[in-house]
Amino acid sequence: VVKEKTSGEPLPGVSVVVKGTTKGIQTDFDGNFIINKVSAGNVLVFRYLGFADKEVTLENNFNLIVELTESAEQLEEIVLVGYGTTTVKDATGSVESITAKDFTKGNIVTPENLLSGRVSGVSVTTSGAPGSGSQITIRGGSSIGASNSPLIIIDGLPIENSDASISGSRGLLANINPNDIESFSVLKDASATAIYGSRASNGVIIITTKKGRKDFTLDFDMQYTFGEVLDRVNVFSANDYRSLITAKRPGDVSALGNANTDWQDEVLRSTTSSLYNLTAKGQIFGAIPTRLSIGFANQEGALLTSQFDRKTISLSMNPSLFKDHLKINLNYNRVFEDSRFGDSGQIGAALRYDPTQPVYDASSRFGGFYQHFSNGEIANGTTNPIASLLQRNNTGYAFRQYGNLNFDYKFHFIPDLRAVVNVGFDKITSENSDITSKLAPAQSNALFFGNDAFNTQERGNKLFDTYLNYSKSFNKLNVDLTGGYSYQRFENFGTNSGNRNNPENISTTFADPDVVNLGFFSRLKFKYNEKYLLTLNFRRDGTSRFSSDNQWGNFGGAALAYNISDEDFLKDSKVLSSLKLRASVGLTGQQNIPGVNDLYLDRYRFGNETSRYLFGNSSIKSTIPSVVNPDLKWEETTTIEFGVDYGLFDNKFSGSLSAFQKTSDDLLFDAALADGTNFGNSTIQNIGQLQIKGLEFTLNGDILKSEDYNWNFTFNATYLDRKITELANDQDVRTGGTEGGTGNTIQLLREGYTPNSFYVYKQLYNTAGKPIEGAYADLNGDGVINDDDRYLKENPNADVTLGFQSNFNYKNFDLAFNLRASLGNYVYNNVNSSKAQYELLLDNAVLGNLPTSVLETDFLRTSDVINSDIYIENASYLRMDNVTLGYTFNNPIKKFSYSSIRLWAGVQNVFTLTNYSGLDPEVFDGIDKLIYPRSRNFLMGANIKF
Amino acid sequence: CTKDLNIVPEDDQTVLSDALFENENAYLEVLAGTYANLSLTGVDGPESSNIKGLDAGTSQYGRTLLYLQTLSADQMIWSYENDPGTRELQRNIWTAQNPVILGMFSRAMVTVAFANNFLRETTKEKLDARNVSTATRENIVTYRAEARLLRALSYYNLMDLYGKAPMVVETDPTAGFNPPQADRTELFTFIESELLAIDADLMAPKTNQHGRADKAVAWMILAKMYLNAEVYIGEAKYTECLTECKKIIGGGFSLATNYAHLFMADNNTNSAINEIIFPLISDGLITQNYGPTTVMVNGEIGSLEANGIPLGVGASGWGGALRVRKQFAQLFDGGIFSGDTRNTIISGTRSIDITDISDKDQGYIIEKYSNATSTGTFGSDQTFVDTDFPLFRLADVYLMYAEAHLRGGSGGSNADMETYINALRTRANNPQNNLTAADISLEFILDERARELHWEAHRRQDLIRFGKFTGGNYNWAWKGNGSNGIALPSYMKVYPIPTASLASNPNLTQNTGY
Repeated sequence: VVKEKTSGEPLPGVSVVVKGTTKGIQTDFDGNFIINKVSAGNVLVFRYLGFADKEVTLENNFNLIVELTESAEQLEEIVLVGYGTTTVKDATGSVESITAKDFTKGNIVTPENLLSGRVSGVSVTTSGAPGSGSQITIRGGSSIGASNSPLIIIDGLPIENSDASISGSRGLLANINPNDIESFSVLKDASATAIYGSRASNGVIIITTKKGRKDFTLDFDMQYTFGEVLDRVNVFSANDYRSLITAKRPGDVSALGNANTDWQDEVLRSTTSSLYNLTAKGQIFGAIPTRLSIGFANQEGALLTSQFDRKTISLSMNPSLFKDHLKINLNYNRVFEDSRFGDSGQIGAALRYDPTQPVYDASSRFGGFYQHFSNGEIANGTTNPIASLLQRNNTGYAFRQYGNLNFDYKFHFIPDLRAVVNVGFDKITSENSDITSKLAPAQSNALFFGNDAFNTQERGNKLFDTYLNYSKSFNKLNVDLTGGYSYQRFENFGTNSGNRNNPENISTTFADPDVVNLGFFSRLKFKYNEKYLLTLNFRRDGTSRFSSDNQWGNFGGAALAYNISDEDFLKDSKVLSSLKLRASVGLTGQQNIPGVNDLYLDRYRFGNETSRYLFGNSSIKSTIPSVVNPDLKWEETTTIEFGVDYGLFDNKFSGSLSAFQKTSDDLLFDAALADGTNFGNSTIQNIGQLQIKGLEFTLNGDILKSEDYNWNFTFNATYLDRKITELANDQDVRTGGTEGGTGNTIQLLREGYTPNSFYVYKQLYNTAGKPIEGAYADLNGDGVINDDDRYLKENPNADVTLGFQSNFNYKNFDLAFNLRASLGNYVYNNVNSSKAQYELLLDNAVLGNLPTSVLETDFLRTSDVINSDIYIENASYLRMDNVTLGYTFNNPIKKFSYSSIRLWAGVQNVFTLTNYSGLDPEVFDGIDKLIYPRSRNFLMGANIKF
Repeated sequence: CTKDLNIVPEDDQTVLSDALFENENAYLEVLAGTYANLSLTGVDGPESSNIKGLDAGTSQYGRTLLYLQTLSADQMIWSYENDPGTRELQRNIWTAQNPVILGMFSRAMVTVAFANNFLRETTKEKLDARNVSTATRENIVTYRAEARLLRALSYYNLMDLYGKAPMVVETDPTAGFNPPQADRTELFTFIESELLAIDADLMAPKTNQHGRADKAVAWMILAKMYLNAEVYIGEAKYTECLTECKKIIGGGFSLATNYAHLFMADNNTNSAINEIIFPLISDGLITQNYGPTTVMVNGEIGSLEANGIPLGVGASGWGGALRVRKQFAQLFDGGIFSGDTRNTIISGTRSIDITDISDKDQGYIIEKYSNATSTGTFGSDQTFVDTDFPLFRLADVYLMYAEAHLRGGSGGSNADMETYINALRTRANNPQNNLTAADISLEFILDERARELHWEAHRRQDLIRFGKFTGGNYNWAWKGNGSNGIALPSYMKVYPIPTASLASNPNLTQNTGY
């Protein structure tokens, strides 16, 4: 019997191997194992995820009770790779595994945030909105025009790209309960990802959910969060504003009100949130280990009215039949998501709204809210942000079911051969109702019919994959062969009612062409003498996104690893406990271009009800040919990587150092077409090359390890340099839309530079060091300041990102914290650039407030300064994501021998150190358009186990 | 399962080519799509666009034309200079990166591509293969002529604005082809030969459906080419211009009874239908776009006046987006213009000078375009106006006649010239409506064109023809980025080839000076 040392719980699935042979078995659900034909003197090696190895030399008593202790030592940990597993020691690629005990803590309701700051090369950016989606990139993303999101796989089911939107839902990751997740495996280099071929250029995140057990356990987890947004954009207070208007616009003094309103305080609120999870594990019908969990998440948004509620039910059944020859894993999840979306644009409106006006006005015809109103007409300009929030009820309801059924059959007469069949599905249906009161003012429209829109959407996919695995040892050579087939089909369609209050309204439907991905894949793994490891991957992929001439592509990778520490000359080193050298090369593909599913087909599209033409004053369905590109094909990324995995001082310190270069060729890119030939002036083409060079370093330390004290930490550092090495026709591409003006952009893609570098004018300053409005350096010296004088200054990408996590235990106390830093990332302060100019004191026909930063520049006009480099700021930061302190009562309920209660409290978003002048240096794509603010949260929780 | 890779569109707005042409109505609908490219920017509402590189709404054909012909000259100021491209255009400091310059070039070339596609899909072989009925085939003869006319119109705009263009015809391939560059002379020859070739197949003037082109539109393009032939090809063609003008005048057109009718929401049904030779369709419900009329009606609402309600849009419109420059306002100085209905200037307490472009309270505003109807009702939507843009109209022909006659073209007469000019004056309630040939000079024509045709996308072309656009003999406010005007170098008579267009087609060369 194998048991966990601290709790005495039996451990299922522990690998037991007779040392020096390939003979082995896994423990069953009671921790039992039987191993035949062993004799005294044989050494049994016990290995289990997250536990220290144990070697037991057999004596005469073959009825062993073996106790394993938890360990930070990771070398023997099982790591999930595509269509199979390996161990850290045998891994040839760049793979990082994070299990539940290492997850980032805090008020976390979406799974990707468990990874935040934890894995080198992985960046997760989430706004402060409740349940909001995240921008996830691994190694910066290898595309420009195509998706930069990694492939996310849950229990073998690849989910739709995480940036796919669903009307009425917070997003595809928002309806996965983090509590159901057992581990993440992050595949980064091409040799690891190539088995996923065309979908793997941006890395792969494999999520494993928790499974059932034989023994009955009950686990109840609850957490309360109290949040508050502490920072505000500095705008003029009501009294300062009165003085400002008196000084700058004396003619408008009469338009000032008598109130003193801090509109940011009005639209933001302190929040309470709660999470509950109840998990039961045990065996049903005496044979089916089962896990059932129910989760409730309830989050209030810091912006008035915004709310996120989620109920999840997760069922996992994991029976084994025919003496473990057939293992069945069933996962089934049902998620119910309810949201109310607060319009985050009102945060910007709160900056602008006249602070001398009240929130409410009893005499108002707009439902009791103050509104600017003159000459019997609603005046143009910002409307009362509180009214805009309270008079609008934008709600979403989403129901998602997903799951898979996995059969893993070990052949009866050829036990080295396994067949795996996996079928899965994912379907989300959603509704979005957006109702605005008829009392709400409608801008530049005298008809007050409010809004009543109702949208529905259904997204889904079906998966079938199957593979054979053959694993056998021949003397010193271990061979592991895998070959299989995968099929997945995606669908997306929906309806949009339009404004049902509007008599002119027309409802519409939409449907994307289905996306079908097929693949034939194989992997060969060789291990020689436990020291030399070779992995070869090959995948042939087909996609419906390209024409039949281009729809198939070949991808693959090769990796070599050498456990040099097993050599005699290092074996006895006191310093070096393990050392592995690895090198890999691989080719992966990219076909995921958001919204582009049938570009190769000769299509026509006729105008919707508002886009028709009139012949003879009657409507005609005007029809135009769509842009077509029959030559579209895969974008291909070649990755070369060299790495060292090390362990020092008996693995007290361990980690890895990797250097890689990714080159993406045939970039899928929206580039100009020769005018007049096609049916548009640009389309997605395979043009350009992007190169990413990077270094990743991790260090895990077990500083203290004793009966009473434990202290370990993990540290990771990533250096990334992304550069466009080739662009369509050497041509610059403008990107990075900004606020202030119609169609303004601030970023540029240019050959030889980092993508999305800021494209700005060089500000001139007077002798006192004050910027001169609209005065820029004439960089090309032609005497005219125009677009040709803009230059590239900095970029939004961090040069270096760092993560640090510490876990400390003293007896029953535990203390953990997380730090995360980003260095060399720049931000365009679009809040100041579009709002901090005196001309905006007049907000169309009414008065408007400004950020006080205008006092530093004294700028008058937005159009003179909006593209000045003065708004490009270094936004490097150091952030403490969370700190938690807990205390565990062991065995408080004597009746249940494994019972424990852990009480804990913590702070999330503890502090941020930065020189950035805006609200938060961590913004999306380097443009600060005032993100949904992140609250500082105070948390407390309890975890009760029976 | 590999057959599953062959997918089909599932959206009910999208149809594959083969399926589309199974229905014979498709031919008219695809022709309508080519026309619609003059009004719409995309198929999914006013914020959608089939060209990229600039704001979707701004990429509308008539709007880019208005910006390049009017905003860049002496009649108009756009207040929101943070809208990309506008600042550089109205201050004459544009570069090849300008998004509006890209917008016009690409929009016109997409019309060429749509027209070529229509011609490819209506060849005899294709129609035979699809067993198209005789009745439809007869109609298709006219449709094809109209498609060629729209292609010629695009090339005319490109010849005028850029002086060159990639030459693509229906026999060229759609993908992997870099069209050769045609210079101004080649374009001139091509457009002229096309318009002459299709004359027989086009409908007689005023006999086609409203919104579709007839012979008069072809004659109008020819007349304009001939009037400007000295600029384009260094050759005077005023006689030819007069010939075309006379054909149009003889085509049954007559002036709208009221000048204001031409710019109202019902200008597709009121007396303007007798005068407008070719409109760009706008409809607040069916043909929604951020085109020139929507921009001008919303934009002309004053920041101080908030005069939008009687014009059929929101009270404040777009908060004073548009104003006029001093030199234009001065054309209406003097008592004879006080009752002139073409003078819609509101001066109020405003200064005539604009010293600060972003100060929407400076400079006069005008109320030329309206979303109200001639019968006192309003257009169907409060943002997207029902007002068609009068791309070509008879008053322009009258003024072209006079100018070609004064410039020495033969075939015209002083008497006719006097009749035409006085007809415009009379309609405008101008007391000075009895002018004789002695009163009518070329200078007078230029000013009268401004009074009659301001904000109708003609001004830059007129100033160039009169030698006043570049150089320093006429410096209007903000010309060359000086509030009192600075001379422009002569290369600015044509716009640069947009950077993106130049990069995507190695056969194109940049215009001298850029």
